[in-house]
Amino acid sequence: MRHSAALALAALLVAGASGTALGQAPIEGELALITPVSKFIHDAALKAFADYAKEKWNVALKVSAIPAGTPVAYGRIVEWKGRPDADIFWGGESALFEKLAGQKLLQKVEISREAWDSIPASIGKPRPIPLKDKDGFWVGTALEPYGLVYHPKKIQRLGLAEPREWDDLLNPKLKGEVAQCAPTRSSSSNATYEVILSMHGEDKGWEWLRKLAANTGFFTARSRDVPTVVAKGEYSAGFAVPSYMAFEEKLAGFELKFVAPKNAFVTPEPMAILAGARNPKAARAFIEFLLSERGQRVFMERGLFPITPRYRVQGAPGSTAEMAVEFTGGVRSYFEREVANVYDEDVAQKRSEALKQKFRADIEATWKKP
Amino acid sequence: MTRETTSASPSVASPRAGRFGPALGVGLIWLFLALFLVYPLARILYDAFSDDAGRLTLGNFVEFARDRFYLRSLVNSLLLGLGTVAATSVLGFAVAFLLVRFDFVGRNLFSYLTLIPIISPPLVGVLGFTFIMGRAGTVNVLLEDWFGLARPVNFVYGLHGVLLVETLHLFPMITLNVVDALAKIDPALEEAAESVGARGWTKLVTITLPLTTPGYVAGALLVFIWTFSDFATPLVLGVHDLLASQAYLNIVQFVDRRLFRMGIVISALMVALAVVFLIAARRYVAIKDYSSLSYSKVPRRRLSPLGQAGAVAFLSALMLLSFVPYLGVALASVGRGWSLTPFPVRYTFLYFERVIVETPKYIVNSFLYSGLAVALCIVVGVPIAWILARTRVPGRDTLDGLNTLILAIPGTAIGIAYVRAFHFELPGLGWALTSLWIVLPLVLAIRRLPYTVRGSYASLLLVHRSMEEAAASVGARGWRSFSDITLPLIWRGVLVGSLFSFMTSLQEASAVLFLSLGGWETITVGIFSFYIAGSANEAAALGVILIVVAAVSVIVINRIAGTRMGGMFG
Repeated sequence: MRHSAALALAALLVAGASGTALGQAPIEGELALITPVSKFIHDAALKAFADYAKEKWNVALKVSAIPAGTPVAYGRIVEWKGRPDADIFWGGESALFEKLAGQKLLQKVEISREAWDSIPASIGKPRPIPLKDKDGFWVGTALEPYGLVYHPKKIQRLGLAEPREWDDLLNPKLKGEVAQCAPTRSSSSNATYEVILSMHGEDKGWEWLRKLAANTGFFTARSRDVPTVVAKGEYSAGFAVPSYMAFEEKLAGFELKFVAPKNAFVTPEPMAILAGARNPKAARAFIEFLLSERGQRVFMERGLFPITPRYRVQGAPGSTAEMAVEFTGGVRSYFEREVANVYDEDVAQKRSEALKQKFRADIEATWKKP
Repeated sequence: MTRETTSASPSVASPRAGRFGPALGVGLIWLFLALFLVYPLARILYDAFSDDAGRLTLGNFVEFARDRFYLRSLVNSLLLGLGTVAATSVLGFAVAFLLVRFDFVGRNLFSYLTLIPIISPPLVGVLGFTFIMGRAGTVNVLLEDWFGLARPVNFVYGLHGVLLVETLHLFPMITLNVVDALAKIDPALEEAAESVGARGWTKLVTITLPLTTPGYVAGALLVFIWTFSDFATPLVLGVHDLLASQAYLNIVQFVDRRLFRMGIVISALMVALAVVFLIAARRYVAIKDYSSLSYSKVPRRRLSPLGQAGAVAFLSALMLLSFVPYLGVALASVGRGWSLTPFPVRYTFLYFERVIVETPKYIVNSFLYSGLAVALCIVVGVPIAWILARTRVPGRDTLDGLNTLILAIPGTAIGIAYVRAFHFELPGLGWALTSLWIVLPLVLAIRRLPYTVRGSYASLLLVHRSMEEAAASVGARGWRSFSDITLPLIWRGVLVGSLFSFMTSLQEASAVLFLSLGGWETITVGIFSFYIAGSANEAAALGVILIVVAAVSVIVINRIAGTRMGGMFG
């Protein structure tokens, strides 16, 4: 960190010098993301940052995003081979960020020490979930659980109690009523499959997942489709849904409900600057902005939770922030409670290929629409 | 121009007439096709036949053949294609016959309405369908509320749903081609048949159907290829064991290199199959000889009142079903929080405001890229039509073949082929073609070139050479003859073809989806990204805009071209 602090200082001096000499703006005029984080969040974050850049540096920043599922985003970054068409990769599994760093496709984040230190190293017991990279290649931006969603009216019609635990999805009455995305296509699904396997052990875990598949009426093409089809009432319940995606449906006027059962994986939504990025200064400023109170508020008003214990979700009665708190079961900050976690990144990474292959062979290839 | 040298050939633009200019033109056209069509396709085939180290191998196909899931997908895709062809044929023929041979109340209206299903934009069409026919769609909600149905009827989720959606979307392709063919049958042939006692079915089977075969086969091939390569419809309906779905899903997940390569292999396989089908049907799908383009005036038989009622009932029912997607899309574009009620209970214009006011780039980009694409289509396509219709330049057949091949190649495959072929740094420029937005109009131009070529070709054949010869006899040659005589006579065909290219460019999604980068989004890419982002309402609002633009184009085309649209697809 000392190294990066020195660099940051040097950069600051250079920027200051050239600023006075040439009247140059401290950030570039553009910023592009590639991200699986949905439009609802990334649009709001970019817009808030563009406003901030205008106020602070009088820079008319041109922002854009390439929306892509985690695997796609990862794949495109690899294909770009260090000549990226985006500056920042945001969201998905931190394991993929490590893989990218290993291929030298990321540069160190190098934000201010203060911003970096505001984020605890990890969260969760018995297994810790890292919230930033020890080598400095990625940093968490916001916390959010991957839980389950349901349509209260549909659940009521089926004569069921509202689901609270993962096991509730295995109720025979839900046959054909569950929607989920394949772990081969979605990081939230992959992580939650991993949670189930860690909870029950390999054999029983797969048995559990096969039972879930037997109740599944729809394998969606993308994880984002899961809350959509449940909100509409096409299916009654959905598996492995990020909280903010469900909250977005709620804000859109649907009656959807969300639960984060025990051991629901909490993701830090990692963010990294791509090696060879054309706008590294804007990228760095963007990250620092997101970690500031103003940036964190963008998340807190949209069903996400602060990445630092400094803030908690709070708003005027009736505000979207309060709605979000109610929607996610009264949580205001993940640092005020015990976070149960069984997801082990090392195990997950080792098992990743096998998990996907087993899914393809045991579930996808044999699954019949109930 | 060096055309002034008089040539012995009566043909004005015979290659011998010119010296340098025309040869250069032909060369440029070939270069364009070689670079932007042949090379990418060759590249994707090479990818399919090589391993990661670039060594040639059949291993990928062996792997494909060993994978039961892929084999099942292949079989399902073929069955779905055949099933859709069968279903669209029955509907398409029935509608075409009614429209061409009979007269009944509302015939003109129906002849226009039957074109509309074809402009259903990708993705939102099927989304609209699920809003009305889905498990929580209007129909099921009404069944549950009125008849106490305990569990929703599954109309759409599954292969049967894909078949239903594709059939209702594509039957006009058959209708258009058959109407075109039926209208060209010389009534004398059928009269002759009747004079020797062949009436009713016998006449239909022995005379009428064989004469419509070429048009029909061309339409059927397009229906097959379309269904075969459509991935959006099955994905929305949760059907993944199809080749197109697998190609898409395998490619959009880049993490697993093996799966990624299998996606490319599947795309290459789809190209190869398209070529095979094309060759099998080449007798029918090669650019048509329009020498008999003169439409015969067929006397229409006035139906009895009962027959009229039957015809109107059949067509109305069909139209009602075909318009389900439009109804669903329209409702979704203004309905807020619509769930488990027959129709939305809260309405808003918010979604239109968002897509028009907040992100006008979708609309701007779509028009810009499609406009540029059509300009390219005209610059390249009209000369191709000219070469095909007026010259004996060597390689004409290949040119025709390539032009037809484009119609058969799945958009997904072209998109992927471009990514594979053009993602390298151009020497001296420091950027790859795939990093410049110009790649989008380029791919659109290639994809939609056949329509411009066919429209122009048909018109060129209608301009009798004697007119150009007459012009030549009074000293107007080359460009002069073309601009004074030919152009005024063919502009309609060029315009119709170009409008068609334009409309279908606006609708293009599959190829563009793989190439689009931030800031380049077109309407269709916007539809996809809104859908991916979970905002089906905004997707629907964009869909409505696209439908309106397409509907206006169809009206204009219909006005200019009349029933001649059939030739465009075949």
